[in-house]
Parts: sequence; structure tokens; C-alpha cells
Amino acid sequence: MSGNPVPLAMPLPRLAARDCEATTLFREMRKPLLRYLVCLGLSMDEAQDVVQDAFLGLHRHLSGGGSKENIRGWLFRVAHNRARNHQNSYDRRFGASLDPEFDSLLDEATPERAVLEKEKFRQMGKAIRALTDCERECLLLRTEGLRYREIGEVLEIPTSTVGDTVDRAVKKLAEKCNV
Amino acid sequence: MCNYSAKLIAWLDHELPENEASNLEQHVQGCAECRRLAGSYEATSDLFDGYCEAVLASEKPSKMPVWTPVALGAAVTAAVLAILFVFLPAQLEQIPARSPIAASPPAIVHSAEALPVKRSQRRQHALAPIQNPQHNEQTSWPTESAIQVTIPADAMFPPGAIPEGVTFVADINIAADGLPDRLQLQP
Repeated sequence: MSGNPVPLAMPLPRLAARDCEATTLFREMRKPLLRYLVCLGLSMDEAQDVVQDAFLGLHRHLSGGGSKENIRGWLFRVAHNRARNHQNSYDRRFGASLDPEFDSLLDEATPERAVLEKEKFRQMGKAIRALTDCERECLLLRTEGLRYREIGEVLEIPTSTVGDTVDRAVKKLAEKCNV
Repeated sequence: MCNYSAKLIAWLDHELPENEASNLEQHVQGCAECRRLAGSYEATSDLFDGYCEAVLASEKPSKMPVWTPVALGAAVTAAVLAILFVFLPAQLEQIPARSPIAASPPAIVHSAEALPVKRSQRRQHALAPIQNPQHNEQTSWPTESAIQVTIPADAMFPPGAIPEGVTFVADINIAADGLPDRLQLQP
């Protein structure tokens, strides 16, 4: 039969359709996850790797019939745990420095506003460095819109502890930033 | 200090039970100290949010994102096409235009933009937990084959392995790691 054509259909969209839910979530959750990870101290490249790993894990989780309950919390929990593997970067710590790029971002504002903003951010950076790891992580997850219960699930601490920690951390920042 | 002030932050975060939140709200309306503290905590939280956003904006990636299901599909498609063009140029009968998957990944990947961080949104639970992700029409892909190519049988099988005049469709599923995980031949 040599020379006879064999139609070869490759339905790649079947793969894509199965991943469609994960892709929609990826669009919605990518930036909050990146922001959380970068603020934890990871570089952007490391954060992107962690986010990609988390979504690959989500794909496997959903493909394997895993629960769709609170996927946002699931993603943050996985990303948080994987970020721990980047311990060296993690130690760089959020608020550790205000680098030149950070300054140039503020330069886009009017001079007076830029000075005020820089000063506020310097105070905030200094105040953040005085927080404990748990306080910082609770505030970061709160900033991304997680409820206290969800934060507790990500950090594996009781919800009541999250409430106390957030309360303490916000009061510390307010006091040190004179807000 | 006012006794109610200990619960102001939980109240601002909508974490108090309804009756407790209602009592505290009434109290705050009549307590200047609590109003001042609530304003201070709100402003502090906003400043923290802005700081986080600025930290993210100051971080520049040194490489492009490498993962998305769409990009995976595009990569696989591109790899298949490359193989066909490079190794089977004389035997290739037809290759349709690029599939939607192959054409679309940059738009999908780079449209993944900001969920704005707004405290008021968070407190109103605008970012509610994602329970049941739904298909989005704009990001869904057609269910028909992305690409169909015709390959001469003797390019794939030893001579005589396929009876004369027999054709079939090979249905290949690609796993998330990029490797084929299932091959089904249909007459």
C-alpha cells in the first residue's frame, strides 16, 4: 500500500479543553500569586516558576478528579509551600531594600508627590522589616483577598491566630508609619 | 483606649459575626476615637497594598513565562509541524493554516493582567473564593481538530504493515508534560 495517504488527525484542542478551567484560573490568579511570591522575597523568575508549578499541579489535581472547593486557597497553599523550597531567595525578605528600580517607579509621579510617596514607602519598608514572618505572610495573603480562614489553611495555623496576627501586624505598621 | 478598638481590624475585614459587626458599626458612628483608628488602619492597609504592588512592579523577569496549557498545545503543534516540514517535505500532502491554539497563545498569556488590589473590594468579598471555574467563551477552544495532516502510510509503518486501501485516523492525546499519553487508531 506504499504511497497511500493516511489521514492523521491530532485533536490538540482536547488537551486544551481539559485545561480550559486551569487557563481561566491562570489568567485570574497569576498576578496575585506572583505578587505574593515576589513580596515573600522570591525573584520574578523564581516566582514565575513557582506559579507555573502550582498551575501544573492544579491541572493534575483537577484531571485526577480533585476537589474544586476553594481553588484560590489551594493555589496559594501550593505556591506558599513551593516558595519555601527557594529558601535562599526567601531569606532575601520582603521590604529588605528599596532598589533603584523601585525609586524610578516613584519618579513617574509629580516631584512633591514622589517625595511623599518615597518617604511613606521607606517608612513602610522599615516597618515591614520589623514584622515577624507570620505577621508578614498573614498581611500579604490578606492583601490578596484571602479570608482569615483561608489564610489559616495556607499557613496551617488556626483562624483565631490569623485574626490576632493580622490585628497585631496592622497596628504595628500604623504606629511605625504614623498613618 | 476604647474597648471596641480591639475588634476594629476584624470589623474592617468583614470577619466579625453579623450581630457583632452591627453593634460595632453603631458604636463607631458615635465614637471619635474608633473612627480615627479605623481610618488609620484603613490607610495603613492601603499603603501596604500599594507597597506590595510597587514591589511587584519593580521586579523585572529575565525570561518569558514558559508555561500555559495553550503554549503547551502550541509548542506541541509547532513541533509536529517542524517534524513534518523538515523530515517529510516530499510526502506531505496538505497542512491547513495554523490552528487557533497555535495562533493564540501570546494573547492569552499576556492578557493575564491585573486583578486590581482594592481594599474596599476585598472587604466586600469581591474576590470571593473561586469554587467552580467556568469555561470562558473567549478562552475556550473549538472541539474540532486543531490540525489535520495527511501522512503517507509508508512514512510511518514498515512496508506491508497496513493492508492496501485501508485508512484510519490516529487520535493522539498529549499529556501536560508534552508527551503523548494515549494513541487511538480509528478506521
